[in-house]
Amino acid sequence: MVLRKTSSIILGFLFMALSWMTTLAQTTAEPWTDSELKPTKELADQINASGKKKPLIINVGPQAVIPGSLDAGPGSEKDNIKKLEKILSAQDKNREVVIYCGCCPFAKCPNVRPAFKVVKEQGFTQARLLNIPKNIKTDWIDKNYPVQ
Amino acid sequence: MRNIKLFIGLAGLLFLLNQERSLAQKPIEVGGLAPEIELSTPGGKMVSLSSLRGNLVLIDFWASWCAPCVQEQPELKKLYAKYHRPSQTGVNLDIYAVSLDSKKDAWERAIKKLDLPWTQVSDLKFWTSPVAKTYQLEGIPFNLLVDQKGYIIALNLHGEQLDQFLSKRVGK
Repeated sequence: MVLRKTSSIILGFLFMALSWMTTLAQTTAEPWTDSELKPTKELADQINASGKKKPLIINVGPQAVIPGSLDAGPGSEKDNIKKLEKILSAQDKNREVVIYCGCCPFAKCPNVRPAFKVVKEQGFTQARLLNIPKNIKTDWIDKNYPVQ
Repeated sequence: MRNIKLFIGLAGLLFLLNQERSLAQKPIEVGGLAPEIELSTPGGKMVSLSSLRGNLVLIDFWASWCAPCVQEQPELKKLYAKYHRPSQTGVNLDIYAVSLDSKKDAWERAIKKLDLPWTQVSDLKFWTSPVAKTYQLEGIPFNLLVDQKGYIIALNLHGEQLDQFLSKRVGK
């Protein structure tokens, strides 16, 4: 009887630990937090506003579509990550840095994770990932946001 | 006189409204005519979709940077081997692959690596390509099957479903 009680307590603890670990895995799966996701409209407004201090915008996908953005190239390639590091090395760490890809939904994108990690590792206090849930066509171009 | 002016005014208004409607995008749907595409091959030759009329044409929207698109290519090769038979009488399958690549070398490398034998075209404009707008693409991979007269007969069929559809259309 005592044995059964003990084993059910152990099992209970195991279950709790497992569910806690799963939640932890879910929350730590991405290198960015929700607050680091930059709404597209916010960036479009910043680009359209005259005179305002603009963020540093860097393309880490197949093509630099957003006006004024620097082109590091797809973040899945090592050479492009080096290019990104070089672009970032000359920047003020407190400047807002927005990276974007837009090839495909985040779940399928091979570029945003390695690139965002670099921005964070370099200690930028305002590292942002442009929130493009689908792709740059439906979430940016089709909304008539500026294109270069 | 006043009636004539009114009539001309109304006719003009109707004309303008009609113009506007014809400029508006037609939906991409089964039964509709597939809008014309004319883009360049890697070798720089312009090839139009309509030049493949008379065949059953699979328009495949893909890109070398799109992992699921690249993964699908070996399957398409199997289907092409099965249903592309231009020397025989009856229906023949052809593929018109439109790439949303932006860099020519990446596009060419992928075609070579995958060893794709069918027509490859692109304007190298990524998601800003006017074709992506015309075909109202929401994501890739995306494909359409077009009949011998250029009408859309199926949208976005993949794998087993695409094979079954083709086998009915082309026969075994």
